[in-house]
Amino acid sequence: MVLPVSYANSALPAALVRDAVGGSRLEAVRRTIEAVPLARSRVIDRASCSSAVLEDAALAEVLAEAASAVTGRALRLASARIVRLEPGDYVLTRADRVYEDRPVEVVLDVSRAAVPGAEVHYRHRGQVFFVVPSSPGALAVVERGPTVLANHTYVSKRQAGVVLRIVALLR
Amino acid sequence: MWRLPAVFEDERALAAAFRTAEPFAHVVIDDFVPAGDLPELLGQVDEEPLATYAAEIYAFEASAPEPRSKELLALRAAFVDVLAGPLSRITGREVSRADMRVYAYGPGHYLLPHTDHQEDVGRVLAYAYYLPSPSLPLGGELELYACELEGDVMTRADPVKAIAPVANRLVVFEVSDRSLHQVREVLEGVRLSLSGWFYP
Repeated sequence: MVLPVSYANSALPAALVRDAVGGSRLEAVRRTIEAVPLARSRVIDRASCSSAVLEDAALAEVLAEAASAVTGRALRLASARIVRLEPGDYVLTRADRVYEDRPVEVVLDVSRAAVPGAEVHYRHRGQVFFVVPSSPGALAVVERGPTVLANHTYVSKRQAGVVLRIVALLR
Repeated sequence: MWRLPAVFEDERALAAAFRTAEPFAHVVIDDFVPAGDLPELLGQVDEEPLATYAAEIYAFEASAPEPRSKELLALRAAFVDVLAGPLSRITGREVSRADMRVYAYGPGHYLLPHTDHQEDVGRVLAYAYYLPSPSLPLGGELELYACELEGDVMTRADPVKAIAPVANRLVVFEVSDRSLHQVREVLEGVRLSLSGWFYP
């Protein structure tokens, strides 16, 4: 894993570690994720996606280690969820919530292939300050300050890719 | 510039259609202007500059919120002159002014579900008038949803009706916290429209 050096120096700490999880390890994580039954959102003014709570102790440890290495903070997993987006899906900031205690959020992309334009946008007072691209195996680490909200961008129906992400909160 | 079609001669019938439409009050009027008037109409919007707009729930090309060309200003003024009275009677909502923008949705453009309803903005009726396109759009339907609310919070929404962006079609719907709708992604071609809201 190649760690970014700029995380702690930013007013809005955020970093992307490409190829954080790869090869057989990524495939094993994907198999675990794909076995979890997902529920479909019915509140399309906020989100159109499938999701589920993720409870996997081994994976939680991996995410916590990676996030701790990037941030320099001793972090433990607070919660994690799987987010699956098919063409036509999205998650808006209206579905997100504000955190006052500055936890760290990580996004691990476990998609089978990159999906052009399918990104996670982290916003400070509504303005995008950090873009998480579609990149299987990449891990994004973002400090969730009280002005930060995130949205998963619309996945175009002009291509067939499916986005699969683990979104975890650590403290 | 705008001449109301014969269907407006029976405002009672239009009012009944508007009130009883599902999932919320709306009316669809085809062949809104005489076919022979369309070239002149297109000429009125031809010079209006468009720019790309992209945000969390939309991506499209559109003219500025306030028209730049005197032609579009005149088109908007004439639209209000002709329609404000009949729409007030048909919908039971008194309107006297409207805004108007030109929208061009190309491949990959969309507008995700939303209601248009905002406190203190005064949007009473929303409208879309579809212009003839040089490249017929695939997708781009106006999709209307039936939704359930608990207080201000939407708890469920189901698609009920999709209105195709057929040239020379006018769609008008009532704006409320239940008027959930979207413009489906355009997959091919270009969806051209004049759209905006009517205000008291």
